[in-house]
Amino acid sequence: MSHGAITEVVMAVTNASGVSLSLNDRMIAALLSLFIGAFLVFGAGLAHSSALHDTAHDVRHSFGFPCH
Amino acid sequence: MIVRTLLAAICAGLIAGIFMTAAQELRLTPLILKAETYEAAPGSGATPAHEHSSRASDTFLQSLAAALDPIPAAYAHDGAEHEEGGTLFGMSRFSGTLIANLVTGAGFGLILGGLGIALGRPPTLRTGLAWGALGWLSVHLLPALGLPPELPGFPAGDLADRQTWWLMTTVLSAIGLGIIALRKEIWAKAAGLGLLAVPHLYGAPQPGDLASPVPAVLGAEFAVAALATTLAFWLVLGTVSGAINDRFVPKT
Repeated sequence: MSHGAITEVVMAVTNASGVSLSLNDRMIAALLSLFIGAFLVFGAGLAHSSALHDTAHDVRHSFGFPCH
Repeated sequence: MIVRTLLAAICAGLIAGIFMTAAQELRLTPLILKAETYEAAPGSGATPAHEHSSRASDTFLQSLAAALDPIPAAYAHDGAEHEEGGTLFGMSRFSGTLIANLVTGAGFGLILGGLGIALGRPPTLRTGLAWGALGWLSVHLLPALGLPPELPGFPAGDLADRQTWWLMTTVLSAIGLGIIALRKEIWAKAAGLGLLAVPHLYGAPQPGDLASPVPAVLGAEFAVAALATTLAFWLVLGTVSGAINDRFVPKT
């Protein structure tokens, strides 16, 4: 993605979302971010599904995730 | 502001994931392929600790073919232990690695960004390196003291035990390092150090028998290379997160 395209996407998203932020909003965003992040890392690194394991095999070894 | 921070985290993670793929292809994947040739090598006498087949070979053409094969020899698991082998969507070894790196990068990026929002100090260009370094310490170096990054074919303890220990160590290390970095009181820093030590006093699950058909030198080279590569990954992730935050996310 070019620099300009990233700016455009980011601008479009922020125009849609308001500006006022309560502490509550911040915590919800933080939890959501942590949750999605943990889900992605779990899927790539720790899940026992053999299709996921085989796809991410080299990555699991390289990141030092416990494997096999 | 928050959506921008999250987008910044994902962008930084994808960039770090691409970077990680390049570093992996240069150093780590060749070592993994080499180790797989020793696994279950005929006449080695040792029982393979691990179910990959040994058909991968040393010659460049054959390893190239193995890398492009939709279901590489290394993944041809025995049907007995796994219900099904094969990668998602029949991806080649390289594209599987790339996708997994992108997903992992975005995941770690989001975790970093989420912690930044929660603590009210998202990474900036100035603090990005420190964020990255703390991430590497808690996700890689400290857990590696108990469970070093290992090659296929080395003996290891029970998988679920190791995953539990790894996860606990990562979380406790992150909390401990966070306390040490953010709190000024001496008792808080001592408590943080205590949290870092707990999983290592408890001890990582170890295999009963240390014999391995794979030469130990390869394992040592791999452990060092993996830690070095992931350090670079985290420094890129932290710095790029900070740079994007500085550039696109307004301060509030």
